[in-house]
Amino acid sequence: MQVWPLRFRELTDHRMIIADDSGNYFLADGNFVDRYARDELNQSDVDFLSARGHTFQEASELAHTAFLTRWAKRQYISDGSAYVILIPTLRCDLKCSYCQVSRAPVAAKGFDWDEQILDRVLAFFDNLPVNEIQIEFQGGEPFLRLDHLKAIADFARRRFQQARFVVCTNLQTLNADILEFLASEDVLISTSLDGPHQIHTQNRTRSAYLTQEFHQNLVRVLDLIGPERVSALPTIDMKHPPQPEELISAYEQFGFTSLYLRPVNYQGFARKSHPSARTSETWTSYYQEFIYSLIARNSRTGRVMEEFYLAHCLRRILAPGADSHTDLRNPNIPTGANAVIDFDGQIYSSDEARMLARIRQINLSIGSVIDGLDREKLALLAPSHINNFDPDCIHCPYQPFCGTDPIDDMSRNGRIDVPRQESWFCQRHLAVFDLAIELLYSRDPAVEFTLCSWLGLEKLPDALRPIAP
Amino acid sequence: MIQLRLRSECDRSLSPFVVRISNGARQCRDDATLIFEKLGVLNYRAEHTEFCIRDVAPKDIAGDVLLIDPRRQIAHRLIRARSRHNTFLITEQCDQRCLMCSQPPKEHHQDMFEHFLSAARLAPLGAQIGLSGGEPLLHKQALFNFIDAAWTTRDDLSFHILTNGQHFDEGDLPWLRSHRAQLLWGVPIYSADAAIHDEIVGKPGAFAQLSGNFSLLGLAGAALELRTVVMKQNVSGLPDLADFITRYLPFAATWAIMQMERIGYGRMNWSHCFFDSSKEFTDLGAAIDLMSARRQSVVLYNFPLCTIPPVFRNLAAQSISDWKQKYLPECESCSTRIRCAGFFEWYREEDGFMGIHPQ
Repeated sequence: MQVWPLRFRELTDHRMIIADDSGNYFLADGNFVDRYARDELNQSDVDFLSARGHTFQEASELAHTAFLTRWAKRQYISDGSAYVILIPTLRCDLKCSYCQVSRAPVAAKGFDWDEQILDRVLAFFDNLPVNEIQIEFQGGEPFLRLDHLKAIADFARRRFQQARFVVCTNLQTLNADILEFLASEDVLISTSLDGPHQIHTQNRTRSAYLTQEFHQNLVRVLDLIGPERVSALPTIDMKHPPQPEELISAYEQFGFTSLYLRPVNYQGFARKSHPSARTSETWTSYYQEFIYSLIARNSRTGRVMEEFYLAHCLRRILAPGADSHTDLRNPNIPTGANAVIDFDGQIYSSDEARMLARIRQINLSIGSVIDGLDREKLALLAPSHINNFDPDCIHCPYQPFCGTDPIDDMSRNGRIDVPRQESWFCQRHLAVFDLAIELLYSRDPAVEFTLCSWLGLEKLPDALRPIAP
Repeated sequence: MIQLRLRSECDRSLSPFVVRISNGARQCRDDATLIFEKLGVLNYRAEHTEFCIRDVAPKDIAGDVLLIDPRRQIAHRLIRARSRHNTFLITEQCDQRCLMCSQPPKEHHQDMFEHFLSAARLAPLGAQIGLSGGEPLLHKQALFNFIDAAWTTRDDLSFHILTNGQHFDEGDLPWLRSHRAQLLWGVPIYSADAAIHDEIVGKPGAFAQLSGNFSLLGLAGAALELRTVVMKQNVSGLPDLADFITRYLPFAATWAIMQMERIGYGRMNWSHCFFDSSKEFTDLGAAIDLMSARRQSVVLYNFPLCTIPPVFRNLAAQSISDWKQKYLPECESCSTRIRCAGFFEWYREEDGFMGIHPQ
């Protein structure tokens, strides 16, 4: 009998989280790890491992085939749909302190697609080898170029069997044309709501009046298209983080049932105005405190708010296939079907990559709509977008659930080969997965209530939290 | 109840033959056209003979594929054009003796593949045909040959094969691989505990054999539908079975948890086996929760909607074949009847579900 290789990590309570390459996990104490390391597993260890698919006798038997299947399902393979982010303009009517793209002023010239670029973007879409697409309009403020949005949407609805559009907008301005565009069922809104009035004003609008205007527009849009088609996320400035309760209240007040807590991205303007965003310690403790406040509140009120990222990471632990979030997949190889097209027609593998180019740190463009994709550069970038062979990740039990972000590494460290534990991506995700495991194994009814609701379960099955004897 | 056999009259000296009742104009030489109708008797003309069908309206059998048995003066409706539930009974032989079997096995086998092939060739475009038994794979080579032969002219057809999974071997791997796109294998597993599974199917060593063959189906990339009839004997083991499926059968396309059918051995063993899930759904709910947390599909077959807690009702399929499905008198007023699986024709209220509540 053989045991599939196990990786382990000590949690704060000294228990060990142990997992194999297929993402099968369990908790054990240090003695188990000692026995495993010395090859002295006893019969009850072996029975426990065999019942849970951690062992096999020979190739082609069910235990072996099952492991191969579970491993294969953990690898992300494109499902034939594309996710493309478009920047029709870099101009914006706000000037947020943490703006990650260094937006351009509203009156500036030369920061919008011209007709030629628009035509080339349409041609680029026409050549994508997919039948489904999600198009995210970012900026700048994309509604400043509603004409481009309409042209793209008209084309995509004809070209693809299924097309969906997400407009990432500050919702400062609504007019009849914008409302008409929003009326289509395939159009969704993503906006920023930094929480309480005063913090939103401080971070984003610098004007109580503008914040008021935004609130009114948000209510109007929610009334018009319903909460299912509107999402909002707060960006957290660690120098002045909102009180968790206040932040949750602000979201609940608008009828949201999910929020996605994001730290200031260490890109663009944020580098100068938010140097503290480079490191992670304060973020991690704030995030934990926030989650526990959220759980206590959910239990107290009986209404359930989701923190998207923790729920998503939890879903990734429990099962393969939770690959809807484009930033956390493995492998996550850059291709044209998963790209960002900038205001000047340059193509990037991710939004962060375009930001690095914007501040001229490094040009990670993978081509342009004029010249096409740069296959050589794509091939060069590919190996860093897979964590299976990273010298640190191969020892981490969270590897099957996690991803990579070489662009963020590049941004913070100027290189992609720093030891993982020194990278922000790794630190952040170790903390999120540690927290997810802590909650999963918690017997606190308040925690179970929130987790069941996030996962859509009646009762949290014990089989989801195995503990070695 | 829809009749699958119709009284028929024709020249008794003829050998059995397959025809399609033409729906409008005759499309091929196997189509039979209605000549006249008199006193409820339909007179049809086929290529070489004429025959009559009784007790049915012309519109109800238009497009159907019939096997006429002149000796017995019976027409078997092999394919009903307007039904999704067409199944060829490959054999009545079986090597298992499942407690709840609805179609108890018989010793004798009558080879019908020639007629099934003729019928498959006349099936509606894109039809899925069930292949069942007994245990169809007791006649594996003939079955595989039949499927290959059907696909030479009708590659639009797909087959849903119900098998106990005891009769594969490594040599089948290439065939299973090359046919995986159009075959769905429905294979029962009753427990993650080998002893309980073997006892339910009445065959020592069945679980071990099944386990190896599941591996073959996994390696072949076959589409696998696991089927578990819930009974007193296995209900408490359902959460463990769910855990086993997610760990050992992650390649299964879906898991069908099924209620019992009160016929055959199922009727004989009803009081010994029937588990009233309308009164107690805890283990079923725990199994379903685990499957959904691990993102593997689960469906409920043969469960009337009102016997399922509301949160799980979206998993219920209208699984009972139309010809043997019924509703109860109290279902008349139910607003969810149109989406409900209903009951088997042979279901009895006096020893059935205690919790039937029109919605």
